[in-house]
Amino acid sequence: MTTFRVPGRGRVLHNRPVSFTFDGMTYQGLEGDTVASALIANGVQLMGRSFKYHRPRGPMAAGSEEPNALIGTRRGKGRFEPNTRATVQEIWNGLETNSQNKYPSLKFDVGAINDRAYMLFSAGFYYKTFMWPRSFWDKYYEPFIRAAAGLGVSPSEPDPDNYASRYLHTDVLIIGAGPAGLASARAAATAGLRVTLVDENSEPGGTLLSEPQASLDGTPAWDWLSAELDALTDLDVRIMTRTTAIGYYHQNMIALCQKLTDHQEKPAEGAPRERMWRVRAKQVILAQGALEKPLVFDGNDRPGVMLAGSAQTYLNRYGVRVGNKAVIVTSHDSAWYAAFDLASAGTQIEAIVDTRPTPNADLIKEAAARGITVLPGHTATGTSGRLRIKSVRVNKVENGKVLNARNISCDSLLICGGWTPTLHLFSHTKGSLKWDDESQTFLPDRITEECQIAGAGRGLWGIASALNDGAVMGAAAAKALGKSATTQTVTVANDRPGTGESHTELPTDLDPGKARAFVDYQNDVTAKDLRLAVREGMRSIEHVKRYTTNGMATDQGKMSNINGLNIAADALGKKQPEVGLTTFRPPYTPTSFGAFAGYHKGEHFEVTRKTPIDSWAEENGAVFEPVSLWRRAWYFPKDGEDMDAAVRRECRETRKSLGMFDASTLGKIEVVGPDAVEFMNRMYTNPWTKLAPGRTRYGLLLGDDGFIRDDGVIGRLSDDRFHITTTTGGAARVLNMMEDYLQTEWPDLKVWLTSTTEQWSTIALNGPNARNLIEPFVEGLDISDAAFPHMSIAECTFAGFPARLFRVSFTGELGFEINVPARHGRALWEKLFDAGQKYDICPYGTETMHVLRAEKGFIIVGQDTDGTVTPYDAGAGWAIGKNKPDFVGMRALNRPDLTAEGRKQLVGLLTEDGTSKLEEGAQIVLDPNQPIPMKMVGHVTSSYHSDAAGRPIALALVEGGHGKTGDTVYIPMPDRTIKATITGTTFYDPEGARLKL
Amino acid sequence: MTAHVDLNMARTLAKSSAVSVELLPSVARFSLRAGTGEQTALSKALGVALPTKIGQCTRKNKIEVLCLGPDEWTVLAPEDQAVKITDACEAIYAKAPHSLTEVSDREIAIQITGAKATDLMTIGCPRDLDLLPVGEARRTIFDGVSAVLWRDGSDEYRLDLWRSFAPHVISLLETGCAELAAE
Repeated sequence: MTTFRVPGRGRVLHNRPVSFTFDGMTYQGLEGDTVASALIANGVQLMGRSFKYHRPRGPMAAGSEEPNALIGTRRGKGRFEPNTRATVQEIWNGLETNSQNKYPSLKFDVGAINDRAYMLFSAGFYYKTFMWPRSFWDKYYEPFIRAAAGLGVSPSEPDPDNYASRYLHTDVLIIGAGPAGLASARAAATAGLRVTLVDENSEPGGTLLSEPQASLDGTPAWDWLSAELDALTDLDVRIMTRTTAIGYYHQNMIALCQKLTDHQEKPAEGAPRERMWRVRAKQVILAQGALEKPLVFDGNDRPGVMLAGSAQTYLNRYGVRVGNKAVIVTSHDSAWYAAFDLASAGTQIEAIVDTRPTPNADLIKEAAARGITVLPGHTATGTSGRLRIKSVRVNKVENGKVLNARNISCDSLLICGGWTPTLHLFSHTKGSLKWDDESQTFLPDRITEECQIAGAGRGLWGIASALNDGAVMGAAAAKALGKSATTQTVTVANDRPGTGESHTELPTDLDPGKARAFVDYQNDVTAKDLRLAVREGMRSIEHVKRYTTNGMATDQGKMSNINGLNIAADALGKKQPEVGLTTFRPPYTPTSFGAFAGYHKGEHFEVTRKTPIDSWAEENGAVFEPVSLWRRAWYFPKDGEDMDAAVRRECRETRKSLGMFDASTLGKIEVVGPDAVEFMNRMYTNPWTKLAPGRTRYGLLLGDDGFIRDDGVIGRLSDDRFHITTTTGGAARVLNMMEDYLQTEWPDLKVWLTSTTEQWSTIALNGPNARNLIEPFVEGLDISDAAFPHMSIAECTFAGFPARLFRVSFTGELGFEINVPARHGRALWEKLFDAGQKYDICPYGTETMHVLRAEKGFIIVGQDTDGTVTPYDAGAGWAIGKNKPDFVGMRALNRPDLTAEGRKQLVGLLTEDGTSKLEEGAQIVLDPNQPIPMKMVGHVTSSYHSDAAGRPIALALVEGGHGKTGDTVYIPMPDRTIKATITGTTFYDPEGARLKL
Repeated sequence: MTAHVDLNMARTLAKSSAVSVELLPSVARFSLRAGTGEQTALSKALGVALPTKIGQCTRKNKIEVLCLGPDEWTVLAPEDQAVKITDACEAIYAKAPHSLTEVSDREIAIQITGAKATDLMTIGCPRDLDLLPVGEARRTIFDGVSAVLWRDGSDEYRLDLWRSFAPHVISLLETGCAELAAE
C-alpha cells in the first residue's frame, strides 16, 4: 500500500499504530491522527460526495472549517453520528467511519447524474422549478425535496450517551490557544487573574503546531510551546482542549462545548460524552486566528485540491505528505512555505503558480534554490481527474488578457487565496466590522462587549506579531480589571510573515458560464450562481445568500463568505461594505443536541413536583396527570376500570359515604401583620373586616383589569393572621402579584407574606361520614356542626400532629381539610385510610374533584374562566364587597365594556336528549340553520357525566347567558348538531342541605 | 420523572471519592419579616443580632439567622427551641410587629462536602462561588430550582430546597457525584 507518512515527522506517535475502518476497509493510522490525516497517509483523498451534484470530494482543510470531508462515525450501538468532520475526528482502535451522500458506493454514485445536468441546477432552481402546477406540490415536489434534503443519515436509535454541563466564572477567557492566545494567557495570569484558555483542537498551540521551523527566544517552537504550557499551568491557567466556544452571548456569557470521549477507545463507564460550559467572563480575548480562503476557478474542488496551509499542517503536525506531485496556485506568500516544506519532505513540486506578476523576491530565490518552477502572473483555468486530480490547466495573464494554456500533471493542487480573520464570535456580539481595503477583508471595528481581539483575528500576520499582540491584549484585559500585567516580548526566528492579494474568480480564457468554480463547497454554490442571483435582481448579500444558499451549509461559510461577497460585489459594481456581510450565528461549529440538553433527559428532563402523599397514590395504582409542575393523582382505577368507570365510582362513593383527596398542591400564603386585614381588603374583592378569627371565606382575586385571576378559601387564624389558599397553578404568581403590590403600591402597610404551600400537607375529606371519621382524631376542639360550622378554621392536634383544620367543601358534601406539617402527610393519610375502611372510604383524584365541584357549579379558574371573565360574568357578584373603598380591579369593573350588555356569562347547559355529553371547548350558536360561518355566541368550559344529576352536565360561557335561562342553544359538531337548554349552574342539592350535617 | 426520595430520614444520599451528599436532620425553620424599626427588639427576643447585609449570617446559642432581603430573614434552630422562639417573638409582637411564620416542613437541607464540593455546585448553580465567603449564604437557583446556598467551609456547602423540588436536585447531585469521581 502506498504510504504518504513521513517517518519521524509530526506530532503523531509513530510507534503507536491505530486501526480503524472507512467504508468497511481497515486502515492503519497513528495515535494523534484524525480520520482525514490517517486516510491521506494511506493515499485516500476521496472522502465524500458533495450535497447537490454528488461530485467526488476530498478534504480541503485540516481543521473544523472543513466543508467536504463529512463522514458518519459509529462508536458502538446507538452511537452513530452523521456529518462528523473527518479533519476533526481523532482515530482510535475500532472506530468505524463511512462516507455519505453516495449510492451505491463512494467511487460510483448514481446521484452524480446531477453533476452532468449541472446547467439545470442553477441558483434559485427550487424556486423556479417547484412552483407550478400547484397540484404537483403534495404528490411530487415536496416528497422529492424531502428525499433530496439533508446530508447524512439521521441516527435512528436513542442516544445512550450522557451529556454534562457546568457553570464557570473566570476573569479572562481566551478563545484560541495559538501564539496570540498563549501570550494573552501569560500576560493575564501574571496579573493574578483567573484565566481560562480554550482551544477546539486536541492540543493547544495553534499555528505553532504547523510551524515547527520557528524558533522562539532561541528555542525550537515545539519545545517553547511545551515549556510555555507548563508555565501557564504553574500560573493556574485553566487550559481546556477539544473545547469549542460555540456562542458569545450578552454580557460576556460564552458557551463552550467540550468533547470528552469521542477521541477515546474505551471511555470510562458512564463518563459524559460532551460537556457544555456556561462561562461568565469579565474579559474575553478572541484569539481565533484566521482561515485560509480558496481560489475560485473551474474544477477547484476535485479530490487532491486542498488549501496550502492545510497541506502544511498535514505535513508538520501529522507527518503526512498530501501527494507525490504537487502544484501550488496562490495569491499569498504563505503557500510558498507549504511548497518548500513539502519539497523538503520529498514531494515533487511541479510549479508554484502565483497570480501576482511579481511575487516576493526572497521567495522566488528560495524556490530557485530548490529548483522549483515559478509561474508568476498566471491563472488557473481548469483541472482534470475524476476521483483525484490529474492535472491543472494554467495560463499566463498579460495586460488583463489570458494567454495560451498549459497543463501540468499533479496528484495534489494546493491553493491559497489569502486569509480571512475568524470573527464569528465577534459577530455574535453584534460588534461592527470595518472593510479593510488593503487586506481586502473585514476587520473588527466597534466593540460592544468587554472583549479584545488579538493576533490574526485582527489581521496581523506571523508568529511574532501574534505573540506580541496577544501579550498586549492580555495586559489590556488585566488593565480593564484594574490589574497590571507583565508582558514579555518574544523574539522569533524563521517566522513566516507575508502578504497577498484577493480575487474574485480567477480570470479564464474559457466560457465562465460553464465553469464549475466552487465558492461554497458544501452547498455546491459556484461563482456563476452568485452572478446569476445578482442578474435576477438580488441586491443585498442576505438575499444573494438565501437565493444561492451560499454560506448556509453546516460550515456557515467559513471558506465561502468572503469569496461570495467579493463576487457579488463585483457583479453589482459596488464596494464590499456596501453589499454587506451576512451575520454569523451560534454555534460556531455544529454542536450535538445532547450537549444542549445536558442532564435534562429521561427522568431528569424537567422538575416534577410530588406531594408527600404521591408515593401512596403510586403504590395504590393511581393514574397521574400533570398540573403545572406537579403531578397529581388523576383517578384510582380498580379491577381494570377505565377512567369513566373509576371516576363515576369515586363520585358515587364520596357522595354516599366518604371520599379522601390529596389537596397538598393547593397554594398557601400566610399573611401576618397589624395591617393584614387591610391588605386582604385591598387585594381580594371580598370584605374581610368582619370575618371573625376562626372563620373562613371564599376569596376572589382580580387583576387590575377586573378579570378573575385566582380564588380560594381563606381562613382568619387571629386578628393579624390569615391563611390563604390559592389554586395549584396560581400559587407562585399570586404571591408575586401580592408582593408586587406590597412593595410598589403599599409599602406603608405593616404586613408580610410567606409561602407555606410546602409547609403543609393537605387532606380533604368529603361525604356524609367525614365528621364521623375524623372526630376521634381531633384533640382539644369540638367539631360538632354547632361549635364548628361550615366555613370554620381552627388550630388543633390531629392524630397527634399539630394541625390546621378547615371545615370547607368543594363538593357540596360535609367536608374538612386537614393541614399537617408536610413530613406527616403520608402518615396521616394512611391513618385516615385505615380508619376510614369502616365507612368504605374512597381515595379519589383530580377528575372526580372536578366532577363533584361542577355538579355544584363551583368554577375552576383557568377552565371556566380564561382571563376575560369578571366576577359578574362568572355569577360571583356576591363575592364583591360593595361597601369597600377599593380593591384590585374595582375601577376596571366600572369600565363601559365590562358593564355592557351581551358579555359572555357563565351558565349551565343540559343537553335536550339527556344523554349526550358535550365536548369541552365546543362552540355554541343560537340558530343552527344560519349560513356558515355561523355566529358563535360562546363555548362549553366544563362537561362531565354526572351520576348525581342523572345525566351529563356542562358549564358554558354564553353571550348574555344570565338572561337566557330556559332558552335553547345549539352545539354544532362534525357529525351532528346537539340541542341544549341554558340552566343555572347548580345541578345538585341547590339548597345546600348536605352541608348542614 | 425523578424517583421518590424519602425526605424524612437523614442519611447519605450519594458518596464518591470526590464528594459526599447528605440529607441533613430536620431543624426548626422560620421566615421572619419585619421593618427596620423592629429589628433591635427582635434581635433581643431571639438572643442573636439580626444581620443587616443580604447574605450575611449571625449565629448564637445554636440559632442561625440569615439575612435574605431588606426585611427578610431565615431563622434556623434546633427543633426543641421552636416553641421558645415562637413565644419570645409573640411576646414582643404588640410593640414590635413582625411576621414569624414556621416553615420547618417547607424545606429540607442537603450538605455537600469533599474536595470537589465546589465543582459539584457548578453543575447547577450559576453564581460565582469564589464570591461566596465561608459563613455566608445566598438565595440562588440550582438546576433551575430556587434554593438557598450556604457556604459552611471552603469545601462544605448546604442547600436549602423546597420539599417538592428536592428530588430533582438530589438526582442531579447523585449524577454529578459519580461524574466527578470518574474524572
